[in-house]
Parts: sequence; structure tokens; C-alpha cells
Amino acid sequence: MNHQQDYEDELRARFTKWLDIVIYRAKLKYLRKTETKLETVSFEELPESSQPIYEDDLRNIFSSTDFDFEEERLADAFVKLPIKRQQILTMLFVEEKRPEEIAKELNCSAQHVYDQKYQALKKLRIELAKEGDGR
Amino acid sequence: MKPEEFHRILEEATLGSHEALGRIFEMYAPMINKHSQIGGKLDEDLKQYILIHIALNISKFHI
Repeated sequence: MNHQQDYEDELRARFTKWLDIVIYRAKLKYLRKTETKLETVSFEELPESSQPIYEDDLRNIFSSTDFDFEEERLADAFVKLPIKRQQILTMLFVEEKRPEEIAKELNCSAQHVYDQKYQALKKLRIELAKEGDGR
Repeated sequence: MKPEEFHRILEEATLGSHEALGRIFEMYAPMINKHSQIGGKLDEDLKQYILIHIALNISKFHI
């Protein structure tokens, strides 16, 4: 009796999982289909008023985006960090060096690099949150 | 619903019973509705597409 019960439960769980996958695939297919149905208009067909002709127009459009704003705030917070920490973050995230390589270059331990990274990111988060609240 | 009843309905649905399939749809309505949303809103076309997809594929489920 118990074995039968276990089998029924297992069947239900298996079917639920199967159904979840079938639904997920159906949704993906549907989204792909509707995506390709979206009408596209060539650049030449666009009305003149919709075309950013001058470089200044483009600059005006992009200069007011949130993304740029966030970047600027991040840059401001970054320059407030001690030089050593700035250097470590740059090596980690821009030059994509491993902490061990950085430690060798800076003549310190890898643990020190990890600590500096942790402290720097913490400081950046605090700075960004502080400026975010002020708005 | 008792597990053995679920087993029977599922078996019938996989064999092509429309009534059993309807019961499966009822049972799994929350899951189907959840996946039928686009941008937080129920998309009826997507829901229909999903239901048809299930109906066409349920015979492939091995009990």
C-alpha cells in the first residue's frame, strides 16, 4: 500500500516537473514568434522628426540617461577611495588580474588584496546609498 | 484529490480524453496562469498557446 502511495506521489511530482518544462518551452516559442512579428522600419522610412541628425542631438538624448548618471556617481565615489584601493579595484575589474598576481606586483599578501577589495566595495556601496538617499 | 484518482485522470489524458485533459488544466491552472503573464499581465493568446502545447504533447508523457 505504501509503495503504491509512493509511486502515485512520485508520478505527480514527475508530471508537475514535466509540465513546468513544457509550459516554459511553449512560452519561449511564443515569445520568439511574437518577437519576429514585430514590424521593423528601415532608417530611411523614418519620419525626419524621429531622426537624430546632429551629433549634439544625440549627445542631448544620451546625456540625460540614468545610466550615465549612475556612472558619474560611481566615478565620484571611486575617487574618494584611497589611491591604493583604487589601484587594486582597477587591477581587479579593469585589468582583470587575479588577486595573487596583484599581490605579487604590490608586494603584499593575497589576503591583503581581498581585504582591500572588500573594504573598497563596502565604501562604494555606502557612498552610493548615501547619495541615493539624498535625492 | 486522491493520488490514485490523479493517476487515472493523467492516464486518460495521455490517451486523448478531452475531459481528463480539462481536469488537468483545472488542476494546474495556477501554474498555467502564472506562466501566461507578460509584464505582470495575463496574456490570453499566450495562455491559449500554452494550453494547445500541453494538449499536443501530453501523450508523450510516460506514466
